[in-house]
Formats: sequence, structure tokens, C-alpha cells
Amino acid sequence: MSGSAYIPTDEELANLQQLSREYEPEVTGPLVGERQSSTAITTEYANADPVYRVKTAALPSKYSHFRTCRGDGNCGWRAIAFTYFETLIRLGDINKFQDEKTRLQSMNNLISSIGYSEDIYEGFQEECWDLLVALANAIGNGNAAQVLLENFNDMGVSMNIITYFKLLTSAWMQTHSADYMNFLLGQTVKSYCTQTIDPVNSEIDNIGIAALSEALLKPIGFALDVLYLDRSPGEEINVIHFGATENDALSLPYPRPTLRLLYRPGHYDILYKAEDIEVQQPIPSQAPLHVALAAGYTDDFVPMDSSMSDVMTMIPGLYPTGLGQRWPSAPYDYDPIPTPQPQPQVAPVPTYAPPPTAVAPVPTSHQEYATPVPSSHVNHQHHSTHHGIQLQPPVSLSLNHPPPPLTIERGGPFRPSMYELEPGFHSGQQHTLPFQTSIFRNSHYNTAHFLNPDFQPEEWSPDAEYSTSSRSRHKSSSQ
Amino acid sequence: MSAGAKKRIMREYGECMADMPPGMKINFDEKNMTEWEIHMDGPEDSMYAGGHFLLKIMFPSEYPFKPPVVSFKTKIYHPNVSNDDKGSMCLGLLRPDEWKPPNKVVSVLRLIQTLLTEPNADDAIEPSIANEYKENRKEFEKNAKDWVKRYAK
Repeated sequence: MSGSAYIPTDEELANLQQLSREYEPEVTGPLVGERQSSTAITTEYANADPVYRVKTAALPSKYSHFRTCRGDGNCGWRAIAFTYFETLIRLGDINKFQDEKTRLQSMNNLISSIGYSEDIYEGFQEECWDLLVALANAIGNGNAAQVLLENFNDMGVSMNIITYFKLLTSAWMQTHSADYMNFLLGQTVKSYCTQTIDPVNSEIDNIGIAALSEALLKPIGFALDVLYLDRSPGEEINVIHFGATENDALSLPYPRPTLRLLYRPGHYDILYKAEDIEVQQPIPSQAPLHVALAAGYTDDFVPMDSSMSDVMTMIPGLYPTGLGQRWPSAPYDYDPIPTPQPQPQVAPVPTYAPPPTAVAPVPTSHQEYATPVPSSHVNHQHHSTHHGIQLQPPVSLSLNHPPPPLTIERGGPFRPSMYELEPGFHSGQQHTLPFQTSIFRNSHYNTAHFLNPDFQPEEWSPDAEYSTSSRSRHKSSSQ
Repeated sequence: MSAGAKKRIMREYGECMADMPPGMKINFDEKNMTEWEIHMDGPEDSMYAGGHFLLKIMFPSEYPFKPPVVSFKTKIYHPNVSNDDKGSMCLGLLRPDEWKPPNKVVSVLRLIQTLLTEPNADDAIEPSIANEYKENRKEFEKNAKDWVKRYAK
């Protein structure tokens, strides 16, 4: 055997080639999985290369959850399609679903212009329209996420939608060829699309992601972050941004709703930040607002139409009627005696980190304020009974006992703010915040001035320290 | 098979009827629409002229996300058709990794006709016939015509 080289015949080679061509790896698992904690990724890489270990260890603090996609050669396409619908659900605006159908339909001329007849691609599209309608209905019933997951785990539905998005990508690239031709290493845009975008089971690559983001995500104001987990040096996973940016039209929602993918060579999964997971309540349609106007003021009041309500909520200081409707189970009653209360069964409401400025009280409802208490020994029982805001106390006297984050009641309708700290912000900073106010910095209460942190300036008398005559008195007082 | 796929096959059939390549006839059974019988005359400008071939096109349950499967029920001496009881033809747009869901069946029919006129020896399923086609065209033509007489009359 070792002496003579084995030369396979043509027939055998052809056979092998045939086998390798027909080989399909065994793929298991749901097409799109349930959302789970991203610590599972860290665990998966616990014994891997140190670069992976460091990068995945840092992952859960920023991206709390992830969702697997089946690696059947379409995972990137499926991940983007799924998160596109999921982000629409997160916006919670039923009108958006119809708007999206109208917008996408208006791009049909692009698909027709690259030579596909409508009767061929409308089959793929219809599945997309059906899903948009189903989701819009499901939002009212509160089970949209479930409906989406079920639909995407139906091979037919998900393949129709993927095929439609591929056609859209292909059509977009071929009608905007100047934007892409320089990235194709000499290939024409047409041949690139024919070989890389159009065939079934051809995975999306960077150029495809860029084109799909332009066609599908950017016009509706969605951004797409792809995290590349690879062996490149660094302590964090590299992120590449696609889709809408900060600089795009201001009419788009802000901050940009963001789809997030985790790329590991050859495979895409879906990532979430904690802030992405909020349960969006349907925006209640507005009852006409009645305002007692000054006498003689005759302008007819024009009630807001319901599609405006979400815009109104974004205007600082303005809030639609039915204050608190979006926090249906948030208890408002002020409890003067801090007694432990049973944890109310509320829908999970996201944890809002404090804005860097003081929390402005909303004057229309009574509520508790975060009282900065210079000690960790505050009564936490009361404060932790409601879903809450994580607050670091602004000052603390104890260097040895960093107080745990205070949880204060989120009794009032604080609006989500673009200035919020990212969830997980505190996880990296468990140490006590230094004294930050300029007044306190110079105060003699600031223990940073003293070599001995246990030194208590108010108990110290310089006379006692330096006067030999009263030395004994000082000693007795300190014992 | 989903309702969408059935609708698609019906539509494909309509399109084939409207734009049938010459020398072809489709036997379409509405009760079993995933299996088409094609009767095809050998193209006049090929070695297969005068022959009548029976083909089958099977639509897999994942259609249109998997390609239709083409097989020759009549034996044919051709580098791109397997010389066994399957008589399968699998190249170009019919290959699973090159198949595009919007591809039309009528273009599959055209591909079959083109291949009878011009075999593709570089992408052959029968390497020995391909070799003969490339190096000994006379012998190939003789064999092909011989098989037409024996099997395709």
C-alpha cells in the first residue's frame, strides 16, 4: 500500500464528487430557538482559546440574551428576517405593520426590473404580508412574540420570507450597482447576485447584509449591529454597524431600534441587550382630550389620532391622557410605613438605570424620591418591593462597605430616556463612587483627606492632640 | 405540500402550456400534480433526432426551495444522464446548491432540450461517455444513434 500511490479512476472520482455535492450535514434544533441567557455562550467557550474566553466573558454584561438559529445555510438571512419582525413588535405600533407592507410593495418594481415576473415572486411575498397581518392582530392579544416564533419555525413560512428578502436584496444591489461593484473583487453585481444571493442555501455575507440593511432596515430607521466573534486581538467582540445611523433623517424613531447578530465563523445567532427585551404594551388609543380652556378661547380642540400618540410620548413633558396606562400594574399609593409588601405580579418592566442628572419629579403624581442616604444601612425591604430603578447613592461615607445599589420605587410615569445608562453599566463598577460634588470634595468629612480612613474628624480635637496638658483627657475620650 | 407550492405548480403548468418548447408535451394529472410526464422528441439538429423520450419531473415536498428532479425513463446515451434505471439529470440550475426558488419549469424544459443538442462534457455524470464525446466524437454519435434505435423508437 505504501509503495504504490493509489490513483482513483474517473468513475470513482465522479462518485466521490457526487457524494460530496449531495452531502447535507445533519442539522438539528429549532429553526429559531427560544431566547436564553447569553451566559450560555460564555460557558460554551469556557475551555476554548483564551481570546474567545476573554471576549465571551465580557459578552453577557452588555448583551444579556441570545437566540439560536439553525445552521442550515440560511441562518444569517433567517436571523435578520426574524429580528426585523421582532423589532416591529417591540415598537408596538399596529399601524407600522400596514406601513411596512405598503413600503415593501412599492419596491416590487425593483424586483420586476431585474427580470422576475410578479406572479413568481408574489408567492414568496404573500407569506410576508400574511405574517405582518398576523402579528398586527397578535399585538392586540399580547402574543405576538409567540406567533412570530411559531411562524418562523414553520419551514415553509420562513423559507418564503427568506426567499423574498433575498430577491429584495438582489434587486436592490442590481439597481444600485455603483454602490456595490467596488466590493466584489472584479465580479459583476449581476454575477455576484446570481451566485451568492439568489441560490437557496447560500449564506448571507457582509455585502448581502449591507444591501439588505439598506433595502429593508434603513428606511424604517432600524439599525443592525453584527458582532464578529473571532480570534482577532482585543478584549471585546468587534461590532460592525449597518442600517440607519445617528445621522439619518430625524423623522425616524430615536434611538434607532437595533437588531443584533452574533457571528461566529459560518454561523449567525441573534443577540439582545437587556433593553431590547422590554414587554411593549400596546399603545392605548386615545380618548378625546378635554381641557378646560380659558373663557373666550374658542379654538376647537382637535383630538390626537391614535397614530400620533407615540410621537407625543417622545416630547419631553408631554404625556397622553390616561396617565399610567402603560404601567397598568404599577402601584401608585404611597406607603408611609416601610413594611415589606408581597411582590406584586407585574409584567416584567425593564430596569431603567438613572440618568446622569437628577431624576426630575413629575408633578402630577405622588411618588417616592430617591433620598440619598449616606449609609448602606437603609431599609431595603420597602424599596425593593416594586420594580425599580437602580440607583447608586450619590454620596457615601463608608469606603469599606460599598453600599449595594439602592432600589427605589418606580412609582411615577418616568418616561424612557435616551440618556439612560446601559443596563449592566453598574456591573463593571462595583466600587464606591468617589465623592463627586465640588462642595463635598473640599469638605472635611471627605475621608480622602486623611491617611486613616477610620479617622473621624468631628471627634478629633487639635487641642487635645497637640496640647500636652490635655493629653490624658484625649486618651480617655477615645477609649 | 403547502397550498403555496401547489399554487405555484399550477401556475408553472399554465406557463409551460403557453410557452411550450417545440417537440414537447406534458401529461399533467391534477390529482398528482407533483409528478409530470414529459414526452419529448429528439431535437432535429442532434444525434437523438427521430427518437421519442419519456421523462419525469418530480417536485419535492420542499419545492420551490428544492429543485425539481428530472429523470429519463427512456434510456439515452448521453454524458449528462445517468446510465442506470434512474436516468437522472442533475446539472446547472437543477443542482440543489445552484437552484433558485424563482426559477421556472419552462426554463428547465429548455435546459433539457439544449443539453440534447449540446451535451456538457465538463459537467458529466457519466465520465466514460463524456470522454468518448470529447475524444472520439464519431464513436459517440454512433453509440447515441444506436441507442435511439434500440430504446427510443
